[in-house]
Amino acid sequence: MLRRASQPCGADGDQVGLGRGSYQDSPLSPAVFRRVRANMQESAECGWELLLSASSVQAQVSAAQLDSADTLFAEVVGLIVGTKTFLIEAISSSEAFGQVYLYRLLLREAQPKAQ
Amino acid sequence: MVDAKDSFYIALRDRLTTLNPQRTMMARGAVRPGILVEEAEPAVSQLPRDVYVLRWTGVSRDLSLPSRMVMLNCEIHYCTAGSDAACGLDRGRALTTMDSEVVEMLEPASTPAMSFDAIPATATGGTTFWTTPSFGTTIISRDCLGRMAKVTVFARQAEGDE
Repeated sequence: MLRRASQPCGADGDQVGLGRGSYQDSPLSPAVFRRVRANMQESAECGWELLLSASSVQAQVSAAQLDSADTLFAEVVGLIVGTKTFLIEAISSSEAFGQVYLYRLLLREAQPKAQ
Repeated sequence: MVDAKDSFYIALRDRLTTLNPQRTMMARGAVRPGILVEEAEPAVSQLPRDVYVLRWTGVSRDLSLPSRMVMLNCEIHYCTAGSDAACGLDRGRALTTMDSEVVEMLEPASTPAMSFDAIPATATGGTTFWTTPSFGTTIISRDCLGRMAKVTVFARQAEGDE
């Protein structure tokens, strides 16, 4: 599981989609990646769930000198599993004794490119 | 067309910086003015609060206009939940402030057309201009108030666009 985030990009071209920014992949570990309960709606996309250790997320927050995990996730361009890219749909966290110990991300597979 | 879209965004962004320097956001590792082009940023499930999101929704051509002129439909989405200090009770005032900023960002309704394909950007010699905004009704979504303003941006079609 890799977190793909863009390098800091504030140039005009980056902001209008010229894609001059570069990207950095960081491993997220330990992680549990699984399909969420089957969706019975016709033609609905199937979702995926990613459970992340809060300590590993906090390590990345510190390494990237960010102020919070929310900021870290907001900068994610995609999450890479194998050859597939997933987008974050929703984020929640679980706490015990006032400490976050787990982040739960609902993911959606990015639309595949035409071959 | 792409130069018109880019020039429109950059003009609004620069005007916002002057109008309200405090309206900033952290996006892709950089602190930027609080306005973005939706199609040029990572896909998200929820629009960010207290920033302006430009969404390009359509292209059309009016037969009464010169043949090389096209109209680009742009929606400006924004929402706010007010400030934490006021527990969100100022969200109505915050939305009105954003309404005012949209009006001011869009005046004057033109900007020199620039090409951002190269660094630094170069002037194309043309002008990008747009209509006055039409504002939608207030959208209430839980603790957020939002609105959408529609603008039509006029662009001269380049040789390669046809």
